[in-house]
Amino acid sequence: MFEIPWNVIAMQFFFGIALGCIFVLLSSGMSIIFGLLDVVNFAHGTFAMLGAYAVFVVISLSGSFVVGLVSAVVIVGIIGMIVEFLFLKPLYGKDPLLPLLLTFGLSVAIPDLIKIIFGLIGKPVNYPEALSGTLMLGSVIIPGYRLFIILFTLVALISLWLFLKRSDLGMIIRASTRDSLMVQTLGINVSRIWTFGFGLGVGLAALAGAIAAPMMSATPDMGVDMTMTAFVVTVVGGLGSLGGAIVGGLLIGLVVAFTAFVAGEYSSVSMYFCMALILLVRPRGLFGEQGRE
Amino acid sequence: MQQFKRLGRIGLAMLLVGLISAGLLTAMPTQASAQQKTIKYGTMHPLTGAYAVLGRDQMRATEMAVEEWNAKGGVLGHKIIWVHRDDELKGNVAIRRAKELVEEEKCDFIGGTLSGSISLAMNEFACKTKTPYVAYCMSDMVLGSDQCEYGAAFMVVPYAASLAVAQYAFKNVGKKWFAITADYRWGHSLLEGWLWQSQQMGGQFLGNVYVPLGTTDFSTYYAKVLAAKPDFIVMNNLGADQTAAIKQASELGLTKNIKIFCTKTAQHTIKELGPAYNENVIGGMSFYYKLRDKYPGAKKFVDKFMKKYGAPPEQDGECGYVATNILFMAIEKAGTVSDKKKIMEAMQDIKYQLTKGPEYLRGCDRQRVQSYVLVKGKGAKAKGWDLADIVAEIPGDKIIMSCEDNAKKLPFINIKLPK
Repeated sequence: MFEIPWNVIAMQFFFGIALGCIFVLLSSGMSIIFGLLDVVNFAHGTFAMLGAYAVFVVISLSGSFVVGLVSAVVIVGIIGMIVEFLFLKPLYGKDPLLPLLLTFGLSVAIPDLIKIIFGLIGKPVNYPEALSGTLMLGSVIIPGYRLFIILFTLVALISLWLFLKRSDLGMIIRASTRDSLMVQTLGINVSRIWTFGFGLGVGLAALAGAIAAPMMSATPDMGVDMTMTAFVVTVVGGLGSLGGAIVGGLLIGLVVAFTAFVAGEYSSVSMYFCMALILLVRPRGLFGEQGRE
Repeated sequence: MQQFKRLGRIGLAMLLVGLISAGLLTAMPTQASAQQKTIKYGTMHPLTGAYAVLGRDQMRATEMAVEEWNAKGGVLGHKIIWVHRDDELKGNVAIRRAKELVEEEKCDFIGGTLSGSISLAMNEFACKTKTPYVAYCMSDMVLGSDQCEYGAAFMVVPYAASLAVAQYAFKNVGKKWFAITADYRWGHSLLEGWLWQSQQMGGQFLGNVYVPLGTTDFSTYYAKVLAAKPDFIVMNNLGADQTAAIKQASELGLTKNIKIFCTKTAQHTIKELGPAYNENVIGGMSFYYKLRDKYPGAKKFVDKFMKKYGAPPEQDGECGYVATNILFMAIEKAGTVSDKKKIMEAMQDIKYQLTKGPEYLRGCDRQRVQSYVLVKGKGAKAKGWDLADIVAEIPGDKIIMSCEDNAKKLPFINIKLPK
């Protein structure tokens, strides 16, 4: 039996958490959209891809990575709201298959549009200068950018939690996910809440895409795998559950990281295996509500 | 009522004019084709999906070659009609498209594809239908039982790329190496080549990780690589996988301290990577546009391509250009457009100099014998298309096994791949 050095295990754990943080951002957005609108967003990864391109454009113009990240959320969030208002809204209350088909169509059309605008070759997004080095924690190598991903995700999630728990708008959103008819009866324009909620969900996807962009460059087809990952994490965590998205994201990140170490060729399939296992034991996912499985 | 009748008459007149014009227009090409004899060449490229940029270059270079031949009167007085299809880089789609090209479009010759496994299926199809097929991609079709008298391969055999890069790495950098290999047939073939060359040159293989196609996070594999402390890392992957792998190696500071060898790389990958593809990253290519400074043929091809399409050709485009040219040269040499067997025989041992130094298509297995180029990234100094510099050009005959060996898949069949 060969011995695995503890520092390698520690690094693997760290990489798994950092990867999981990207999954968390991605799937929180999907959970919000599903919880609020009951829409399975097949274009979720596509919006993440838009986030990567947005960060590329804004960095090219402003030179600032942080401005790029914030702009990516705002720009893609607005695009999401327009999409919801123009295309999704007319489909509410009709066949539930229709929004699914629409978002699937968007996942095909938007990358083609990006290819027309930006060309077939992907765009490099460089690591921000200040975060491009590595730190040594004993014999454990910690890349500065991965540490940033973890801390940034933590801040983003606390902000999101405070917004949803403490602000009026956040409470209305939460109430709408529970019973939109009741909220409507109280005189609140739920239709606007849905539009905002969709924008918030795809904005989080854009944040995931933007934060992942320096690790892989912005390419038109990068959204395909991201959509699949978002689905897996959302199902593992429980459809529509924000807490589930967080736990599910971190769990899948760790599963992928340790599988990559033990048997690299199975790292991609490990997340599906994990999903299947959890669905067998708990069909509604880790934090899913009964009746939503 | 009167007005309706008048409108109806105008409508009828317009319809008649339309029909007559349409009849004239459709009659025109028929008359033209009646005057001039034609041959039809059909190609397939991945024009959608992750490798669309390479497929597009294959298509463009083919178009350029066909235009050049037609400009000088076609082949044996036959105008070349070229049609192309998107194979989406999927085997089942490629076979469907190939059937379309041969059975519906009545193509006399077929070519293209970017995937080695698709080229094997195409080769089999070409054998069954006795339709000459010129492959544009790295392919094992000249190895073992896959050999067929109707197929010819114009990109290097996968193992040849490994031998070229490995010879350079072991001679110039060090002996201890660790590999990151895409987990499918092409990646495995590259790894076999590395392992064999390592045995020949006293290399020390420290380990390998198989990575599924489409992996976006490679950091989780690097802990193992770092623990092994290699002199250099070998990347047996391509496209988005290679982009992510090198990006994340640079994040860990690996590209500052350790050399990285990409057995096959691509111009667009270097561009996508930006500063991460620095002087410590060395990649292999069958063609890089800077060969224009060395060979007049390359200069002519690259300049014309850049003028027409605004960017230098990828190696895949160059391969398509050469394959198309050799097909037509073989037809001329055979003196027939219909005797396919004779055309394939004429292709054997055909000698030419088009885009690089003198080359030939080996008679015994119809494999193009060509050099392999190693380029070193320019990192942050890259500007426009000035992305890398050529550091070596390994001659073709130093990286290809004999036909007898190829037929028996030797010596690589004896290499045991790590688990």
